Amino acid sequence: MDRMQRTTIAGLAIVACVAIVAAAETKKEFRFSVNGRANVSVDTPYGTVTVKPGVANQVLVTAILASDRVELDNGQKGNRIELESHLLKGGDEQSGRVDYELTVPPDTTVSLRSTAGPSLSVERLRGDLRLEGATAKVDVRNCSYGHVHIRTMNGPITLTQVKNAHVEVTSISGDIHLNSVDGQLVQVGTTSGRIFYDGDFGLAGDYTFTTHSGDIEALIPGGTSADFNAHSVQGHVQSDISLSPKEHPMFPAELGRSFFGTMGKAASEVVFKSFSGRIRLKHADKTN
Amino acid sequence: MNCTDVRRVLPEVMDSAQDTEFQAHLKSCPHCSELVADLEWIASEARLLAEADEPPARVWVRIAAELKAEGLIHEAEVPRLRPVLVPQRRRWSAWWLVPVAAALLAAGSYVINRRAEQPVASNTVSKPETPQVAVATPPANQPASQPVPKPARKASSPQVVSDVPSIEADTLDDQQLMQEVSTRAPHMRASYENDLRSVNAYIRDAEAYLQQHPGDEEARQHLMDAYEQKAFLYQMALQQAQ
Repeated sequence: MDRMQRTTIAGLAIVACVAIVAAAETKKEFRFSVNGRANVSVDTPYGTVTVKPGVANQVLVTAILASDRVELDNGQKGNRIELESHLLKGGDEQSGRVDYELTVPPDTTVSLRSTAGPSLSVERLRGDLRLEGATAKVDVRNCSYGHVHIRTMNGPITLTQVKNAHVEVTSISGDIHLNSVDGQLVQVGTTSGRIFYDGDFGLAGDYTFTTHSGDIEALIPGGTSADFNAHSVQGHVQSDISLSPKEHPMFPAELGRSFFGTMGKAASEVVFKSFSGRIRLKHADKTN
Repeated sequence: MNCTDVRRVLPEVMDSAQDTEFQAHLKSCPHCSELVADLEWIASEARLLAEADEPPARVWVRIAAELKAEGLIHEAEVPRLRPVLVPQRRRWSAWWLVPVAAALLAAGSYVINRRAEQPVASNTVSKPETPQVAVATPPANQPASQPVPKPARKASSPQVVSDVPSIEADTLDDQQLMQEVSTRAPHMRASYENDLRSVNAYIRDAEAYLQQHPGDEEARQHLMDAYEQKAFLYQMALQQAQ
């Protein structure tokens, strides 16, 4: 009986703690009407931001504030909606956290900025995206036709099924994963982070991957049509794929430091550059 | 009050209805009453004058010239303006990071452009040199169409370059940046420190390589990328500090 009593008291204590925490949180909801292409920006030092498509002509925002040590400002000017949270006195990364969930029209231009995250997430949109964070993890899925600009200091970046887009991704030390990403222009750069590409370099685009010391690895299917140029100033490069020779290589020929050649009709141009990182081109269906 | 008194005080009391002596004399003296009535009529008509009725500027210039020639008026002395020192309150602000970030980019561009103007070093890629570094073995499935392997570049002694941005200045700016981050966001300090180290390593490597191979366009682009990364880091720190 004593054991049961202790268990019951412990359970009640846990429930009480959860209730206290929940009570300290504040949930706010906003509804904005827009007419035409909306422009939504969210700026928060701490918290997750998730953006999904919703009905046309309406932007719905749900924000959960962790405590009263953080304040949320919102405003609308025509089709431009701005949401900003900032710390009040005594606020820190726990008490100053604000988690946002937004549903926006699919062609909305979205701008998200978060210092410490933990994450920025966007899916199934067709408008321009601008995501920026220091340590926040960035995840973009199933977005097409827009300009996608992403910058982090060391937050990892993942793009999945981003099609027919103008993509510019930069991170200082965060790893960058691109899965089925194609477009007219795809530029990816890191200092010490690694770059992983899994796709077919489609749409006759220009693809450029640059690192200082991070490795670059690309997995491509057999039907890829691209012109490859790879060079590492001090690192090692390797191509597991037979490439057809080309007359005018972009880089000086240097065994182990560069490779170049074409595959298929060489529709796209792909450039891998690293200062001291490794570069490797592999078959997608023959990965180790 | 007589007519002489009226003429003496007329400019002060003309619009005033309070002076009883003045009003009493006007009632008894038709001559002064007519004079005051004429003056009031002139004053009322003058208010109705439009700008177009005023004489042109050249008339006033000519009048002023004639008066100066007669010695009746002199050029007014314009007092010399002295600079006034307004004490300004010093405010410690993180906005100095903005010009620092811009200066980093500008310094990087300057260095890169100056190196581009220098004559191409003798140890270019096209000239065969004694290999010093063992190159990794090529993969077994390397097709025959791959280019003939070239010997690796020989590392030459670094040329003296006076255009390299001052390392000391960069270090001072970096230290101030980290102090700012420590004050505003101490939990982010380690993160900024690591990334700053990475970016500085990138800049050093690219600069050192470019020093040895001034004509290398790719190395120059690497250096530009490195400076852009550093400018981005400063920008993030500035946003953090706000």
